[in-house]
Amino acid sequence: MCSVALMGMIFEDDSSGAWNEMFEAPGKPRPIYERLFAEIDRFDPAELLQRSDQLSHTFLDRGVTFAHSGEERPFPLDLMPRLLGAIEWDLLERGISQRVRALEAFLGDVYGAGQVFEDGVIPKSVVTTSSHFCRAAHSIEPPNGVRITVAGIDLVRDEIGKFRILEDNVRIPSGVSYVIENRRAMTQTFSALFSNHRVHPVDSYPARLLAALRLAAPYGIGDPVVVVLSPGVYNAAYFEHVLLARMMGIELVEGRDLVCRSNHVFMRMTNGERPVHVIYRRVDDDWLDPLQFRPDSVIGVAGLVNAARAGNVALANALGNGVADDKLVYTYVPDFIRFYLGEEPLIENVETFRLEDPDVLGEVLQSLDAYVLKPVDGSGGKGIVIGPQADEQTLTSVRDAIIMSPRNWIAQRPVALSTHPTLVDEQVSPRHVDLRPFAVSGGQGVWVLPGGLTRVALGAGELVVNSSRGGGSKDTWVLNDQLVAPRGPATDVGQPPRNAGVIPRQNDEYTDQEAEQ
Amino acid sequence: MAKASYNEARMTPVATHNQSVRQAHVSVQPSVPLYSYVDYFGTTVTAFDIQDLHTILEVEARSTVESRAAILERPINWGQIRDERLVDTYSEYLGATARTQLSHEALANAAAWPGQLDLHECARAVGDFVRTRVQYVPGATTVSSTAEEAWSRGEGVCQDITHITIGLLRTLGIPARYVSGYLYPSSDSDIGDVVAGQSHAWVEYFSGVWTGWDPTNGVGETENHIIVGRGRDYDDVAPLKGIYQGPSSSSLGVSVEMSRIV
Repeated sequence: MCSVALMGMIFEDDSSGAWNEMFEAPGKPRPIYERLFAEIDRFDPAELLQRSDQLSHTFLDRGVTFAHSGEERPFPLDLMPRLLGAIEWDLLERGISQRVRALEAFLGDVYGAGQVFEDGVIPKSVVTTSSHFCRAAHSIEPPNGVRITVAGIDLVRDEIGKFRILEDNVRIPSGVSYVIENRRAMTQTFSALFSNHRVHPVDSYPARLLAALRLAAPYGIGDPVVVVLSPGVYNAAYFEHVLLARMMGIELVEGRDLVCRSNHVFMRMTNGERPVHVIYRRVDDDWLDPLQFRPDSVIGVAGLVNAARAGNVALANALGNGVADDKLVYTYVPDFIRFYLGEEPLIENVETFRLEDPDVLGEVLQSLDAYVLKPVDGSGGKGIVIGPQADEQTLTSVRDAIIMSPRNWIAQRPVALSTHPTLVDEQVSPRHVDLRPFAVSGGQGVWVLPGGLTRVALGAGELVVNSSRGGGSKDTWVLNDQLVAPRGPATDVGQPPRNAGVIPRQNDEYTDQEAEQ
Repeated sequence: MAKASYNEARMTPVATHNQSVRQAHVSVQPSVPLYSYVDYFGTTVTAFDIQDLHTILEVEARSTVESRAAILERPINWGQIRDERLVDTYSEYLGATARTQLSHEALANAAAWPGQLDLHECARAVGDFVRTRVQYVPGATTVSSTAEEAWSRGEGVCQDITHITIGLLRTLGIPARYVSGYLYPSSDSDIGDVVAGQSHAWVEYFSGVWTGWDPTNGVGETENHIIVGRGRDYDDVAPLKGIYQGPSSSSLGVSVEMSRIV
């Protein structure tokens, strides 16, 4: 195997054993990437590097940052976009929608009748021992029945090219601002690439979100006042709160700007007060209402939970959704899909082991270095131990932690996440990527933003891609190529159709109108 | 003095097999709109907020309850109480909370009981054991004390004795929950006499049905025990919780007055 010289740059060989998103063999791009590969080849390497610089400057200028280890940093955007074909995307879209519908039904059941326990689909104790199970959410009915207004479902592609669900994020998933900003920066910097690809636009997201939030309004409120509630400038995702509020044209508020009176919520304005009907809240449950949760919270609003219970304000996402994000609950989601929807899961989970079973626990403890070990309530990659890469000391301490509370851990088969050529230190090298599509729902079906956030781990061999762990991202293109019949037979997501991405037409201009549906 | 306060009162008796609530009314001074709902544990909650400056908050709960002593049902056996499905259903009442967690020292005696005793005898034995080890001393602990603190001190009030008993019962695999309510002091008073009652706490354990036991007094759930609510521990059923803006100068007083009407 040899490295491939392209545009004077070296594409480092991919020896990871993972699925390479771009190449099916060294130097041979997958059909969907052929056009991009050829296009990029026309650039002079020096110019490409310069454009890469330009990309990061665009980000700095616009203030697209992420707080990493207490430090405000730009979230690096890689210039090589990640491509998804229409047929593959169609399956992902349906699979994500299915997942969100099942989780929605599960949450409604958990905070309502509890049929799922009666029928023995999941032990009740799994739910009641989840740290995010919220008893205060019991019997609070969202006016439009939607608890998951926004979901971020994390996917990875395994060694044979099959997408799998890695985790569900239905509390306050973040990252969509990077999807919007990445696209904006890429179209500015690489407009030529877009002229030969029909890429689904992503800029309708704020309008979709606002429409969903308005549908969440309390009964009888025809023209609801919707606000974004942020914890404030010190939150890692503050940039996103500002961006979404601005793009939706609604107020960005903090806890101190809102007041509850007799279960109605008001926003303090310079010229008086205004009622608030829907709150897109980016504050965690624990901090949301000091009367119900942490009494020391100064970023919440006292009385908010009872205002929601009384039906005078809607919280999006709803209280208590975190129980669905619990990684032990995750192992039951395929059963929820069968139980609530009567369907087979379109996208499988990563193979996961429940450690509450003493036999399974014993087996896992015997060869910890063969598993990925995850705390069930972690987010942002916190606490994850990649067995095969961990040192003795790490394995010993994770072993102790697991023995102490098996309920709080899961073990997963290590998946060599797919890799994507990525510009690192003036060279193009394979780096592991994942995909977080975003789904929005106002109660009239689930809409999935085409593409989503492709996160890339910038360290060689690094498998944890979270932005909070210092990763970067890629613009993610869903190609609008459904008019083109694939040359090969259409297959399921396990075997991406070889030719699904080929677009024979040469001069189609990318416009918002034609791709928007 | 508070500028604004947000509060929840859990003071309304719950309807049970042995207790019917004829009338229940909560009123608040200063006068504000009240909102009521039933929480996860089945307790009626009265929620309200006060936006004006206030120096005093008065919550009055007035109820008329018809109650009778519970009849002791034959308990299920130790095998049944350890049935997988039952353990799952009542898991919230089997795990320790920060309030009910006990040290090994407190637990050392407990292991021997299940062998010879049925569930009722065992619950009594646990309650009696706690009562001999922890003296009832009003003021010895605070409303936020844990079972472990009261155990080490050897003193406590009904809340502490209840938390310790719950902790031990759960360790033995018997689902146990905290009951918040009122205790009518004597059955001998005349009809219509207003006597000083007290806020009280006791235990319900699962023995096929939920069965009450008052470890502080060493008695079952009599007609003098008026149940307001149940939970995993005190925090789930605190009679009044709230937050307010203003200097911390609050003092809390509670009085319970009860009278027999039939």
